[in-house]
Amino acid sequence: MSNFREAQRQAHPTKTNTLSLGIICVLILVLVMQVWLLTAALNESLDGNNAVKWPAFIASSVLFLAGAALLRYLPDPIRHARRVRKHEEASRRL
Amino acid sequence: MSSTPLPPRSPAETDFPIDRAEAEHVTRREFAKFLCLLSGGMAVGSGWVAVKDKIFPPFTFEGERFVCNVEDVVFGATHPFTIQGSRTPFILIRLNDGSFRAYEQKCTHLACAVYYSPDKNKIECPCHHGYFDANDGKVLAGPPPRPLPHLEVSVRDGKVFVREPERKERT
Ligand code: FES
Repeated sequence: MSNFREAQRQAHPTKTNTLSLGIICVLILVLVMQVWLLTAALNESLDGNNAVKWPAFIASSVLFLAGAALLRYLPDPIRHARRVRKHEEASRRL
Repeated sequence: MSSTPLPPRSPAETDFPIDRAEAEHVTRREFAKFLCLLSGGMAVGSGWVAVKDKIFPPFTFEGERFVCNVEDVVFGATHPFTIQGSRTPFILIRLNDGSFRAYEQKCTHLACAVYYSPDKNKIECPCHHGYFDANDGKVLAGPPPRPLPHLEVSVRDGKVFVREPERKERT
């Protein structure tokens, strides 16, 4: 299985590492922003200011959905290696 | 790419590996998914903050409620009371100038019981040394994030009454 992807992988073998760590960093950032939104909204609503709580909820949900969408790009090298191996075995059998 | 033989695994074996070390190992994928779960929890928490007042409306009362007689509270003293129908503790304070103030007794930081210190003319929270102004309940020092909630006090015929303050509508 030699294609452009494979060549890329060989040129930069730790690409999945970088990607995993990048995604984890973004998720931590998302979480920190959500903690801030939650405390700010709670504080304001306990103070009788209800203008903040709905925008905070919407922002927090959007951040969550963005984080969940990011999981799609989470590398799965073991599953990938298994798939490659299966492919190799299949082509050997042919 | 070197194809190191990987043992074939069923999804069940992946979720419940036989080897103990493998079972305890947290991969970065799992960690990232866990972060996403926490993020979902935060979104749900924000939703709860948004709808909480609709599900459990905060306690309010109409008109004036009698608290005690003026002579029951000497200068610089405190009289604890509750409003019928609510379990929130309040304190009625007679300041050194003779005027009355009524505040919720729960600190706005972590809900410890606050007390009035007449020599400093401040309301103190003993838990983390939060200080509130006895005249208006504003935070003077320490961790409390908001002023103490207050009730309006009126004195008629030697009797002290409290009422809900005007709601500040900021929605
Ligand atoms: S609970 Fe009052 S200062 Fe922390």
